[in-house]
Amino acid sequence: MDINFSKEDLAFRDELREWLANDYPKHVKDKMDKGEHLTRQDMVDYHKALSAKGWMGYNWPVEYGGTGWSASQLYLFNKEFGMAGCPPLLAFGVSMVAPVIWTFGNEEQKKRFLPDILDFNTWWCQGYSEPGSGSDLASLKTKAVKEGDHYVVNGSKTWTTLAQNADWIFLLVRTDSSGKKQEGISFLLVDMKTPGIEVKPIITIDGDHEVNSVFFTDVKVPVENLVGEEGKGWTYAKFLLAHERFGIAAVGASMRALNQLKEVVAELNNSDLDKKVAEMEIAISALEMTELRLLSDLENGGHPGAESSILKIKGTEIQQGLTELFVEAAGEYALMYPGAGGYGSNDKPSGPEHAAVSLERFLNFRKTSIYGGSNEIQKNIISKFVLGV
Amino acid sequence: MNLSYTEEQVMLREQIQKFCETEYDFYKREEVVKSEDDFDPNAWSLFAEQGWLSMPFSEESGGFGFGPVELSILFEEFGKSLVIEPYLSNVVLAGSVLDKSNFEGKVELIESICSGSMHISLAYAEAAHSYEYLKPDTNVSDSKLNGTKTLVLNGKNASKLIVSCVMNGELSLVLVDTTADGVSFNTFRTIDEKTCAEFTFENVSIQDSDIIASGDEAKNLLTETINLATLCISAEAVGCMVSCYNKTVQYTKEREQFDQPISNFQVLQHRMVDMFIDSELAKSLLFKAMLEVDADSEDKFKHVSALKAHVGKFGKLSAQNAVQLHGGMGVSEEMMIGHYLKKMVAIDAMFGNADFHLKSFSK
Repeated sequence: MDINFSKEDLAFRDELREWLANDYPKHVKDKMDKGEHLTRQDMVDYHKALSAKGWMGYNWPVEYGGTGWSASQLYLFNKEFGMAGCPPLLAFGVSMVAPVIWTFGNEEQKKRFLPDILDFNTWWCQGYSEPGSGSDLASLKTKAVKEGDHYVVNGSKTWTTLAQNADWIFLLVRTDSSGKKQEGISFLLVDMKTPGIEVKPIITIDGDHEVNSVFFTDVKVPVENLVGEEGKGWTYAKFLLAHERFGIAAVGASMRALNQLKEVVAELNNSDLDKKVAEMEIAISALEMTELRLLSDLENGGHPGAESSILKIKGTEIQQGLTELFVEAAGEYALMYPGAGGYGSNDKPSGPEHAAVSLERFLNFRKTSIYGGSNEIQKNIISKFVLGV
Repeated sequence: MNLSYTEEQVMLREQIQKFCETEYDFYKREEVVKSEDDFDPNAWSLFAEQGWLSMPFSEESGGFGFGPVELSILFEEFGKSLVIEPYLSNVVLAGSVLDKSNFEGKVELIESICSGSMHISLAYAEAAHSYEYLKPDTNVSDSKLNGTKTLVLNGKNASKLIVSCVMNGELSLVLVDTTADGVSFNTFRTIDEKTCAEFTFENVSIQDSDIIASGDEAKNLLTETINLATLCISAEAVGCMVSCYNKTVQYTKEREQFDQPISNFQVLQHRMVDMFIDSELAKSLLFKAMLEVDADSEDKFKHVSALKAHVGKFGKLSAQNAVQLHGGMGVSEEMMIGHYLKKMVAIDAMFGNADFHLKSFSK
């Protein structure tokens, strides 16, 4: 047993750190460090900086222009970028639709879509959830009817993250309702500028506009935008969700938050809070080692399966737990929060600076145990595949 | 980075598993609990033959020089089957102190532990100093040992004790014959069905040749040994946690209520998933702790504390869940499952409970 990374991996880590020190766009870093919101342009700048370095395809095979990184390298990338407080990479293009395209798409689609994802010329969003289909995703109703060389799409999607910024959306649609609900689902790629698409903001409890409703009225989608076979969309959808799992533990980002929390708590002289922070630190250490164990298993040719659901469940519990401790540390100032309405006649809150950011994170992070297959769904997965009940 | 066990380590685990499954089932354990000795002399001889009693000792002392990884494997497997043989007291506690000391007579004593011919216990605890082992009241002055040591594991079987005490103003470890004049003891049973004793020393004569270590050396020996023992019982706790969820999953698949196996009920499934997750996290912390101890790193105490704090809290929780999901069976003395709960209580209580280690961790 050897817990140390190889020389090559450590050299790779140094390269990551060098980029973070020199090439991580400064205006993005400043805003992230202050807990301010990023604009669309900030996000584009950040992703394009990664493209320029050749790291946008961080989890892609070399043949499609990716890095071909090993599991260890991926782990280090996630950890170092998390610890540096970088924005999480937008997953929709690079980690979600791209693997579906290179695995199930045709040559034409690969040529048409993959290079723009690598260069971040297109911003993708995800058309999965519907008002009536959340955890029971296969019950989706948005319909696509083939008419000549087009599909005509009608229906609506919801919780669509950053659809207001997106150029393209990948859609799960129903092309057949005669059989089982998992059958008759197809996977379409849709240009957001197509007539008949309307994006309406959903304001979440943190006051932010991150997610949207997207409505489709007689939207004409060329048949060449169908990925793979008609009716096989459910297989592709599940494949995509499995691809989402790695990095979901967010160990690096949680370590950074923990260090910030320790600084805040150090000034409070509150032994109850100290104890909770210690428990959190142990939980993060356990999560990190669990991820490393899965990693080691992968590198030794193993196929960790449902165990990786632990990373989702614990990773998100920790992320949320940290925000809860920040709110506790804010004490009375947890009262003060602008939300969607603004601070009133004060344009800035009184009290410690960390308080307002803490509340925003606390409210925003409630989503983590809901998205990506809710934590209850993850427990169902472990029940079925690990416990066998 | 490679977090796989070596082939030898896998074989060791299989060997111990085989013993536990074929020769140390719950009924056998009950016999041992009810026996006069409170351990199984046949099993103990077998441990000696297999070399398990020599495992962690350095090659100079006649051991195999195995480290904390192998010890953790052994304790994890012992934990799964709730083995009550006095391995911790003899091999880990008394044995490690001797092995790492510069004591002249250590090789002979270690040989007698390895062969199983003699039991030796470490008397580290005192009633007035819960979890603080470096400032005992027991003392030696004018070459006479006086004081009382409590919770001496396997005390009644021990021919010799290693007693922590203060001598010439500094911590010392001295070797005492349990039959010497002035030594008396009472025996007790622990919640996990081991035997322990309270020893009183009244003017017990101590020679220079009985002194194992003093001052910083004694402090280091004791601190290192307790840390290793804490790792071992935490590994035992990990084994218990794994068994708790395995046995509970098994039971809920077999137990039928409302015309179906109760494992069909989601509320029970999710509780079992929690048990599974907590045991996996415990395993992860065990990996970290044993590798840090193996590397003799600066952080080794911290990581053992993290592990102990986790198993202290979540080990008990797992065992409580196991009892709950077994229903009335869970609280029956004749069923094994309730005994895991007792074991988890014992483990939490030893060498610092969850709160204690949480504080040590954040220091």
